Amino acid sequence: MAAKKGKLTKVLDHLKHEDPFSKGVAFCPGCGLELLLRFIPQVMGNDIVITGTPSCSAPVLLGQNNQSWHKLSYFGTLMTGAAANATGLARYYRKAGIDNTVVCFNGDGTAADIGFGNLSGAAERNEPFIYICYDNEGYMNTGIQKSGTTPFGATTTTTPKGSVHKGKNLRRMNLALKMAMHKIPYAATATLSDLDDLAKKLLKAKEAKERGFAFLHVFAPCTTGWGYAPENTIEVCRRAVKTNYFPLWEAVDGKIRMTKTVKKPKPVKTYTELIKKFAHLTEEDHQILQDDIDYEFCILGGLSVLEGECQLPVSAQD
Amino acid sequence: MVTKTKAETKKGSQIKVITGNAAAAIAAKLACPDVVAAYPITPQTEIIEQISKFHANGEMDCELITVEGENSAMNAVMAASLAGGRVFTATSSWGLVFMYDAVLATSGARAPVVMVNVNRETPGIIAVSSGQQDMICTRDAGWIFLIAEDCQEVLDLVLQAYRLAEDYDIQVPVMVHYDGFYLSYLSEGVDVPFQEDVDKFLSVLEDQPKRTVLTPGNGMGCGSHGILGGYMELRHKHVTALERSKAKFDQIDKEYEDIFGRAYGGQLEEYRMDDADVVLVGSGSMCGTIKTVIDEKRQAGIKVGLLKMRMFRPFPGEAIVKALKGKKAIGVVDRSLNFGHKGGPFYTEIKAFETQLDGSPMISFIDGIANTDITTVNVAAMIDTICALAAGKEVREVTWVSYPEANEPEVNKSGGK
Repeated sequence: MAAKKGKLTKVLDHLKHEDPFSKGVAFCPGCGLELLLRFIPQVMGNDIVITGTPSCSAPVLLGQNNQSWHKLSYFGTLMTGAAANATGLARYYRKAGIDNTVVCFNGDGTAADIGFGNLSGAAERNEPFIYICYDNEGYMNTGIQKSGTTPFGATTTTTPKGSVHKGKNLRRMNLALKMAMHKIPYAATATLSDLDDLAKKLLKAKEAKERGFAFLHVFAPCTTGWGYAPENTIEVCRRAVKTNYFPLWEAVDGKIRMTKTVKKPKPVKTYTELIKKFAHLTEEDHQILQDDIDYEFCILGGLSVLEGECQLPVSAQD
Repeated sequence: MVTKTKAETKKGSQIKVITGNAAAAIAAKLACPDVVAAYPITPQTEIIEQISKFHANGEMDCELITVEGENSAMNAVMAASLAGGRVFTATSSWGLVFMYDAVLATSGARAPVVMVNVNRETPGIIAVSSGQQDMICTRDAGWIFLIAEDCQEVLDLVLQAYRLAEDYDIQVPVMVHYDGFYLSYLSEGVDVPFQEDVDKFLSVLEDQPKRTVLTPGNGMGCGSHGILGGYMELRHKHVTALERSKAKFDQIDKEYEDIFGRAYGGQLEEYRMDDADVVLVGSGSMCGTIKTVIDEKRQAGIKVGLLKMRMFRPFPGEAIVKALKGKKAIGVVDRSLNFGHKGGPFYTEIKAFETQLDGSPMISFIDGIANTDITTVNVAAMIDTICALAAGKEVREVTWVSYPEANEPEVNKSGGK
């Protein structure tokens, strides 16, 4: 109990700035995105310029109704060119000598799918801004469709459970690792069960953007789209980390390091059992998902070993 | 008509033999933009190569963003513009189409972006050739469209475009169009102004009120979601700004003459129009050829004039009516198609003013598609047809000048079934 209290205080210590969002905004109860969106400016400061696209964040970030508002400078833009917009802002501020922290805040649909080309381009050019992808594994605002980060087996409205096909029959892409491979000043994964880790990474990203591009991939579960109880959002995040479904790591100038080591990873089933979109998975399906998680974690471990930072990971099956 | 005064030879300018693309690049350099986004596409590439060279040599102190695609080029300059910067980019054809969503967002956000579009065909096969179809693809994007006839006008229009786009009363993005291949690669003498004169010309903007910009920490947002009345208010303000830009462009053209000694007439350039009985309406590089043929026809006693469209959006309807009123017959040349509509796009739009033109008969010529030369022979044939129309003879409403097969009576090739 005492240890837990200590941890909580540590997180609160990072919240040095006002919460710029009005109360009672238009997010679903238990929304992972809301917690993240409120957290970012409280850690990084209210003088960030935040850019967003049509997405779950839009109703609040872009002021879709009169009840949802905030005090941040923001730019509502298109999914296709989000990273290019942020590029234009950051470059002009640099030219004009205006201190700035541009945060390009997008869902996985923009980051991994329709806007990946310009995200990758901005990383290649080492543009001086921070890109944060909140990953809820699908197009939730349009009504839960499959995206590039939707995991194997998950049902969405475009990968429904039918009599022939049951959920997504493809693996998810590893966006964070792809971004780290650009060897940008900073790339990291984070989630809401580890807020201290998230806060540190936000601050590191802010520091890193002085040298160029910083990328954060934040696992942000969706109670409505995934089918789990609203009060379980943090627990879903926690289990995603503990099963290595979503490992926490960072890469400074391409150098990969685990920021949280899970000594005995739990089988992925302890994660999927909380979530309805996986409810139909058979043992065989679970094995495919588990193999994929192990495969990705092996790559991650291998890369961090190459950098001399960490041991080869132990598979959950061993 | 282009008027030349002694200012042309003043020490503030120099004649250089350069391509249209080089003229565009030099104009961009002279405007001193804060942010330039560059992505190559034929026949625009030379512009960004030249700008990159200026940048590499320290002649251009801008943030140069070598983007990974045209969509990003437009998105980057739109954002930089909304943050308060002067921006430049250039594209052509498929590049323009690839940035279409951002082109719409830019005008909707009233970002005063200046872009050069080197006209090239778009539909169907990859027609790497001249044509205004790319311009037509984006005509409803809410931008101001200006069209240059020669390399000199390319340079002049880019500079004028900054005055127009960034004017406090306008704040609408401007696209400067010129014919790819014909002007992009054509070298001719261009009077290149000196920096201090350009600075003087553009300094008018500095004396205007400051436009609202997106700055860190000021709690300002742009790109909000807005529907119903709020949206209508913004769009109405947008269209009224476009309306204002017509007279503003005329005024800028005059001020340009005061400093640089060149004026073109603003929205429209009139060539031998005063006593003309019949008129050819054209735009872009074809106008040089048309002027040559008009001079020949005049020698033969035919009173023909040219109405050159320098502005296509907003559509200079009032000025066109004023220029064409009382003419015996009018022919409109289009270097693009109006799919699903009879006649070319310029023709169709001018035709809408028919009742205000006291019923002057009007015909459409389609020519210059996909690098087909609009030759002096073609222009002479067009003028002959307009004269026949003026004489009361029956002529085709739409003629594909270089494709006679199109002008045959329609036959049902499927055998009448």
